[in-house]
Amino acid sequence: MTKTKTLLALALIGVCATASARGDIEMLARTCNGCHGVGGVSVGLSMPSIGGLPKEYLRNIMKQWKYDERSAITMNRIVKGLSDDEIDALAAHFAKQRWVPAPQQASAALLAKGKSAISENCEDCHGFTGSDPDVDAPRINGQWAKYMELELAKYRDPRFKMPHRKMKKAAQDMKPAEVPAAAGYFGAQDK
Amino acid sequence: MQTLDRRNFLKAVSGAAAASVLTVPQSFAATAKARVVVVGGGFGGASAARYLRLLDPGIDVTLIERGTRYTSCPLSNEVISGERDIRTLQAGYNGLARRGVKVVHAEVTQVDPVNKTVATADGQSFPYDALVMAPGVDLDYSAIGGLTEELAETRLPHAWKAGPQTLLLKKQLEAMPDGGRFIISVPKAPFRCPPGPYERAAQVAMYCRHHGKKKAKILILDSNDSFSKRPLFEEAWKALYGYGQGGMIEWVSGATGGIVEQVDATAMTCQTTFDDHKGDIINIIPPHRAGKIARDLGLATLKGTWCEVRPESMESTAHKDIYVIGDSCVGGELATGNGFPKSAHMANSQAKVVAAALVARLNGLPPPVPIYTNTCYSVVGHDWGFSVVHLFRVENNKWVYVAKGSGISPVTFGTKEKPLPVPRSYRKMEVAYADGWLRNLLADSFA
Repeated sequence: MTKTKTLLALALIGVCATASARGDIEMLARTCNGCHGVGGVSVGLSMPSIGGLPKEYLRNIMKQWKYDERSAITMNRIVKGLSDDEIDALAAHFAKQRWVPAPQQASAALLAKGKSAISENCEDCHGFTGSDPDVDAPRINGQWAKYMELELAKYRDPRFKMPHRKMKKAAQDMKPAEVPAAAGYFGAQDK
Repeated sequence: MQTLDRRNFLKAVSGAAAASVLTVPQSFAATAKARVVVVGGGFGGASAARYLRLLDPGIDVTLIERGTRYTSCPLSNEVISGERDIRTLQAGYNGLARRGVKVVHAEVTQVDPVNKTVATADGQSFPYDALVMAPGVDLDYSAIGGLTEELAETRLPHAWKAGPQTLLLKKQLEAMPDGGRFIISVPKAPFRCPPGPYERAAQVAMYCRHHGKKKAKILILDSNDSFSKRPLFEEAWKALYGYGQGGMIEWVSGATGGIVEQVDATAMTCQTTFDDHKGDIINIIPPHRAGKIARDLGLATLKGTWCEVRPESMESTAHKDIYVIGDSCVGGELATGNGFPKSAHMANSQAKVVAAALVARLNGLPPPVPIYTNTCYSVVGHDWGFSVVHLFRVENNKWVYVAKGSGISPVTFGTKEKPLPVPRSYRKMEVAYADGWLRNLLADSFA
């Protein structure tokens, strides 16, 4: 065996050792793919892409669901079966994936309406195109608009427990027609 | 310091790939280290083939499936009511072929577990190192007097395998007169898609309500005494269509005469232990058992009906190197009544377990710790849906149902002290999530 090959092999054994220690989290993360897509890249309009979202954000929302600090439709049930360590590992796992925007078509009128709505309510925390979020906020450029509309509906409905005060206030300040416009605007962004 | 020969070097390379989905350099992946044959291209089989290639491109994977296009059973009740185009539920096998799966469209006639080969009707033979069986369910027409497979394809469609019969049942519904009666006969559990018959009743009722058939009746003749997501279904039926006495939907339990024993396709009646019922449409879902090819092979070790498997790997308890996943297998915490539901998502989850277990085994790596999950949505109205989730772990080589990570959508909102009705907006969101779930599940299995 040549020296290069031996070195490569040794490097790979290193990878292998780390990988087998991580094996279980990979197995667990794969169960998320059924609804959120491989690597957390969703192809279902109502289901969010989660690959490449900030670790802090992912960990926070999963723990909030687990401890009933935040309403959800399905996720609050699922995460109750996970340990805090598993939640941390899942958050780290998906945060490491590449964010793959799915830019969706939107009419010029909707984009214009969306742009004005987001500059008032969203830009501060998520950035002008949704790709430059604060530490506790997700990226939303090219996130599914349908998903964002559903999420905004939760923030706007007092019967849903949504713990992020700033987000709640921003969502509730929006006029009804601004909701699909803002969602459509961010959904259309590729970068 | 230990040096590696070529064989172990390959192991190391693909072991890394197995665990972290690295791309194996083409030159290393060129020699197949093992041949895995997958029989059956539904959600389970397709997912198994896909994940085997994703986790280790060095494995040679052959998928044998009769059909060239698959139709999802999940959400196919929406096709019957006209809410959904059947094409949105279909997937072909090109995605798997692009991932390097050898897709063979043929009928499997025999498996030889000693010489490890699979034979197909067209005379081909496929040797394997490991075999994944995902044949789905067979419907036992002989269990109901007067019922035949031919009748199911013409007058009495079960529409329990989505496809032509789904469209036939839809046509029958469209032609049903106002005041007509739609009978659904539910087999003894376990059967594929536990909430399916009850979702179907709702979809039929929705169609009738919106298409000038307000006097229609849907009669569910059940061989069982309760059913999946029951409080959720009953709430929705009551609110949307009327349920019970005078309502559009009526449910008869097994104990009160719901077990259909005989059907007469000419008189259009079905006979239960108690009574005769006349229907304009009789939708008999026959009892289920593991696919014939699995039973022929002796894999159906549970009452000759279902295939028992090992929790850590899904390997058959009857034959070494043969794994059974999907609706044919039985697993979960059976002692507490928390068996694996026979669902698409469950099959997809089992496929991931079998793929990881096989990749580890074929690479000489320690077996991974499995985890099984299920999510299943039911859509009962334009703006009303709900779901169930399941989580199973494996402890001491046994499945453990994790109640904390499982359960149905809430029946009430608010607090225990001050319960409130669940907002309609909440139920409506589940309709949207159902669609997103199905699209991702199809992609995670076939893309």
